[in-house]
Amino acid sequence: MKKECIAMLLAGGQGSRLYVLTGDMAKPAVPFGGKFRIIDFPLSNCANSGIDTVGVLTQYRPLELNNYIGSGQPWELDRMNGGVHILPPYQSNTGATWYKGTANAICQNIGFVDLYDPEYVAVLSGDHIYKMDYSLMLRRHKETGADCTISVMEVPWHEASRFGIMNVDGADVITDFEEKPAQPKSNLASMGIYIFTWKKLRAYLLQDDADPASANDFGKNVIPAMLRAGEKMVAYRFEGYWKDVGTLDSLWDANMDMLSPGSGLNLLDKRWPIYSRTPSCPPAFFAETADVGNSAVAKGCDIRGEVKNTVLSYNAVVEEGAVVTYSVLMPGAVVKKGARVEYAILGEGSLVGEGAHVGAGPETAADPDKWGVAVLGPQTEVAPGETVPAGAMLDKTHGQEAKV
Amino acid sequence: MNGMHGIIFSYEKSNGLRELTEPRIHGSVPFGGSYRMVDFILSDMVNAGIRDVGVIMHGKCQSMMDHLRSGKSWDLSRSFGGLTLLPVFAYNSARGNGRFRGKLEALDVVKDYLRHIRQDYVLLADSDVALNIDLKAVLETHIKTGADITAVCAPSTGDGLYLNLDETGRVREAVDEQHQGLRCLQIFLLRTDLLLSLVDRFVSRHEYSFQGCVLQGLTRELHIQGYVFHGFAAHITDVAGYYASSMRLLDPKVRQDLFCPDRPIYAKENDAASTYMDPQGGCVNSLVDDGCDIQGSVRNSILSRGVRVEKGAVVDGCILFKDTVVKKDAVVRHVIADKAVKIGPGVHLEGAEKYPLVLGKGAEV
Repeated sequence: MKKECIAMLLAGGQGSRLYVLTGDMAKPAVPFGGKFRIIDFPLSNCANSGIDTVGVLTQYRPLELNNYIGSGQPWELDRMNGGVHILPPYQSNTGATWYKGTANAICQNIGFVDLYDPEYVAVLSGDHIYKMDYSLMLRRHKETGADCTISVMEVPWHEASRFGIMNVDGADVITDFEEKPAQPKSNLASMGIYIFTWKKLRAYLLQDDADPASANDFGKNVIPAMLRAGEKMVAYRFEGYWKDVGTLDSLWDANMDMLSPGSGLNLLDKRWPIYSRTPSCPPAFFAETADVGNSAVAKGCDIRGEVKNTVLSYNAVVEEGAVVTYSVLMPGAVVKKGARVEYAILGEGSLVGEGAHVGAGPETAADPDKWGVAVLGPQTEVAPGETVPAGAMLDKTHGQEAKV
Repeated sequence: MNGMHGIIFSYEKSNGLRELTEPRIHGSVPFGGSYRMVDFILSDMVNAGIRDVGVIMHGKCQSMMDHLRSGKSWDLSRSFGGLTLLPVFAYNSARGNGRFRGKLEALDVVKDYLRHIRQDYVLLADSDVALNIDLKAVLETHIKTGADITAVCAPSTGDGLYLNLDETGRVREAVDEQHQGLRCLQIFLLRTDLLLSLVDRFVSRHEYSFQGCVLQGLTRELHIQGYVFHGFAAHITDVAGYYASSMRLLDPKVRQDLFCPDRPIYAKENDAASTYMDPQGGCVNSLVDDGCDIQGSVRNSILSRGVRVEKGAVVDGCILFKDTVVKKDAVVRHVIADKAVKIGPGVHLEGAEKYPLVLGKGAEV
């Protein structure tokens, strides 16, 4: 059945820069903001933008992600025609390969896209936190008659050299693309969100696939090739909250942004809901001894201690006499009596034993450059009285992982 | 086919719940912050492996239908069986002009539905009791004792039918409003064919009350077995009882029993984000659902989704339903506020613990 526009969501990332936190799951399945997982954002954006057909490209430990997406019902993507489809690499008569790059992942699924015979294809990333109406971007794509529209946002000039920068003319037509330029000529950073006219993209994907020297990546190969060939590429300016949560620091930052009204990340706004799949649990309980301030609390929590500037996901427990500050507790994390947790991310189902101490504030660090948030992987337990220093990362086997 | 079929009665009862049942029937009254009354028995059924449930709807059922929809929240949205809504009197004015005269009449109206029940047993239940009961154990006891009907009862107080059991647990006498023996929780288990024959037998004589005809009338003819339930059960019939039962949820032991993780209570999903606690807010001894914004002080209260308590406001001993707003510096004590109530800045409202103040849906103070 023909669709005007479908979305392909790149969710294969291993999330190696999230280290122990990803545990056995792919990065987009990592919990965010108390009730969500990272992938809820692009999926909800699709649902809210009227895109009802989404292919989710997975390959790294997809079990948790597959399980989470299921029929797609929480995002209203369980459709008779279309809906959400998980697309892992598969075997064909010419052999089987892993997805070699972002472009290759889509190239291997040309058959899936062709099923819907779309005019346009949106290519989205599975690890960004943002609320965006893709229908506005699609409208601009059609109005300008572009072959490719790339969503960009203005970043501070001094940070521009960390991004892929688009140089544009007066009509926001892209003239040049530079990956992490030392001397940026523009401060328009690519957000990794593209809309292509499918016929064009299809041809370039096949051309790219035939080139053995190519890394089969959108940013490195396909976009530059289209620019070189003189295709019409237009920048679409996005204003609003957007964050790539591919690193521990940015993931922690984005969670903290939930707590500051000035950040622009407002999850209570009902006009653009973010949907999620959460288990049934009773409301959060605040005990007589609870002292909670500037924090986000989800259902199922049981709070008896002090919680400040912290995001508590569903079913998190903070026992009496425990103190939790500037931290993110993922679903089911438990902080036992008298423990202290500061500047930390506690993975799903992790446990901080009685009187243990996890993490420390930046003011305590001898060398501020070496300071970082402390991280416990999923199901990791810290023994009573044990200390986990700032910047340390533990997984459930208690093997410490070094940040590289 | 082995197993049980669920039938839930959701009908208008005498109005002890005052304003709370003005826009809805008992079964869709919010309870425990995240739930409606009917969620409990419905989840109990699903947790016992029941996959077909009929809900007999009567009276102001709009709110109930909005809540149940296709039944997917309880995993009862199936192409064959699953949840079936049975608005029994909606289309039949010959039947008591739409008045609910008894469960037997209601069942007679949907006899075609009953005839197609696949399971050997039927579990009948009302929708105004919040409890977490292992219904599989009820079925096992029913089979073991060889009873014709098993009636679930509990050592509690309140209005309604009371059962007197002999030493083997068999019901010797069922008495109304006597407050002697064990209170009947209006959950009954019997064979499907027995139910059909009872419906035929009494409705042909224009007798409609299951309680009067069967429980009280056939105590000798049938083996009616009492199943004594010792857990927490909130049977809500009036405002004071509703308030008291709600406040018992602040006791962790009661919550462990009602929200036992082995048999979770399912509610309709919601997409509210987490609750936000302001640095100046304080919240103790309270249950708070998602999507609330708490800038003032909250204690000994139960807050449903999307409640806003503004700076300087004090909420004490209250039950606030979805989207209630307590404006700046308002003080509310022992108040039950229905959906989307607005309490204006600086307003002081105080009910009594035994007689809480009820604000109807959408009221502005």
